[in-house]
Amino acid sequence: MFIGIVLAGLLMVPLAVRDEYYLHLFIVSAIFVVVALGLNLIVGYVGQLSLAHAAFFALGAYVSALLFFKLKWSMWVGMPAAAIVTGCVAFALGWVILRVRGHRFVIITVAFAEIMRLVATNWVDLTRGFMGLPGLQIPALYVPGIGAIDVSSKERFYYVVLAAAVLSFYICYRLVRSPVGRAFVLVRENEVLAESLGLSAFRYCMIAFVVGAALAGAAGALYGHYVGFVSPDLFNFSYITIMLIMVILGGKGTLIGPALGAVVFTFLPELLRDAAQYRMVIFAGILVVATLFMPRGIIFPLVEHLAPRRWRKNHGAA
Amino acid sequence: MFDLAIFGQHLLNGVLIGCAYALIAIGLTMIFGVMNIANFAHGEFYMLGGFAAFYLVSLLKLNYFIALPVAVLLVLALAVAIQQAIFKRLRDAPVMTTTLVTIGLSILLEHVALLLWGPQPQVVPTPFPTRPLSFFGIYTTPLYLFSMAVTAALIVVGHVLIQRTRMGKAMRATFQNREAAALVGVRIDRVYLYAFAFGAALAAAAGAVLGGFIPVEPTMGGIATLKAFVVVILGGMGSFVGAIVGGLLLGLAEALGAGYFSSGWKDAIGFVAVILLLLFRPDGLFKRA
Repeated sequence: MFIGIVLAGLLMVPLAVRDEYYLHLFIVSAIFVVVALGLNLIVGYVGQLSLAHAAFFALGAYVSALLFFKLKWSMWVGMPAAAIVTGCVAFALGWVILRVRGHRFVIITVAFAEIMRLVATNWVDLTRGFMGLPGLQIPALYVPGIGAIDVSSKERFYYVVLAAAVLSFYICYRLVRSPVGRAFVLVRENEVLAESLGLSAFRYCMIAFVVGAALAGAAGALYGHYVGFVSPDLFNFSYITIMLIMVILGGKGTLIGPALGAVVFTFLPELLRDAAQYRMVIFAGILVVATLFMPRGIIFPLVEHLAPRRWRKNHGAA
Repeated sequence: MFDLAIFGQHLLNGVLIGCAYALIAIGLTMIFGVMNIANFAHGEFYMLGGFAAFYLVSLLKLNYFIALPVAVLLVLALAVAIQQAIFKRLRDAPVMTTTLVTIGLSILLEHVALLLWGPQPQVVPTPFPTRPLSFFGIYTTPLYLFSMAVTAALIVVGHVLIQRTRMGKAMRATFQNREAAALVGVRIDRVYLYAFAFGAALAAAAGAVLGGFIPVEPTMGGIATLKAFVVVILGGMGSFVGAIVGGLLLGLAEALGAGYFSSGWKDAIGFVAVILLLLFRPDGLFKRA
């Protein structure tokens, strides 16, 4: 019932929001919902602080863009391909780095992200370096029996990204509610106990890492095609910062929290446009204060507070 | 054709930049060893040192040689404030918390600097003549030599302080075993404060001295932090001598890599080394098994 109302509301957005600019923010929000849900699997559920997530996002954008320019593959093939490639890269990286924990894990993920940035910048023959890859397009969607549907307008592309956001929410929901999801939480809370029960921490970290990276890759492909331009700027540290803010302030280890966090922290910077030069100062300040004093985040506790008790019992933080 | 003079030139540049890396990394490795925190905001002290020196010299017209220590003292004061306000609360906090807080702090300091001083790079004015000196076909400037002497001297001073003073001994004891150190009367809070302030001051000194030829800008702290992490991991986390050797090694590797291979890829050397080291030799290059 409640889900139906929310979905109906989300479907109505392009009808209610006629302003192109706000519609743009809704589209970007939906893309970042996918990213934040992916990061949340790693940071929130298995409890490993990965700073490579933005690199996976950028990698997905590059994979889809390169397939588009070099092989003329449309986004509908490029996006799944981006998810698969980033998933495979995450698997290879995870194979070596998920054996270490703590500071080492964090530092290796930073080093990986930096290497990816250097590759995007320096492999000029492939990526055109700083010049980036402009001119990406959103192709028409071919539906058997109906034919080609043009989805390149903002109103229509909104439904594409909404579908992606809802689908990834569903994937994450099924995942964290399954025995795998319970294993995630046990690995996060007590790795030794998990291992003693025969649950391989390596394996569950890997599942979260690969699924999270694939979501980031798919979102990166959508983002690249939507803004029409892919460049090494996508590897900037500010991307991972904002992704972490979405997940941490949203409420890590929940699904609603990071999803709402993605929406709030896409809109908030834009609403603070008049104070543009202050906004990163404000956000970074909030990140420091919230990490120290509000480990459960801000948005999820608010939602929980407003929600009826029955919902709270079923949907509390894992 | 192998040219000895060009090789010497790369070596000299490598040693200079290596001394700077070492100076920044010493603070990072100490905070890491003593407090068990990977401080992603460490490079911001380097940036702040550069800006402090720039404004003291160009705006307040302070004598260059007085401005350098004053700049370091200013950053030191800020570091003490940050330690008391934030890092004190991070004792015994999980890795996730400490890292997120230091990342937030890093972004915060960077954007405050951007707000206050703008994005344009600034070079600290120095009294040195800019005419290059030449030894055996190797070119350098008086400022380069001065910077090298200062950074090297500070590294030696730091080493002596850690080895010879009571506080240095307390720091080493805390690094080895915090509970045992506390048990024999070492005041851990004070050790934390001194280690943090000392590390920040060294990074600020690097920023102030190098600001004479490496332009100071708000975004420079981020890359400095990453480079310092590379050095810390090369030398072994928490190892003072390791940070010195690691810094020189990275500086030389980058200078030679840029000279003989590609300047675009030189930054990748350190990061690839970090991944390999953390996997195969997690205690650094020099630790005996």
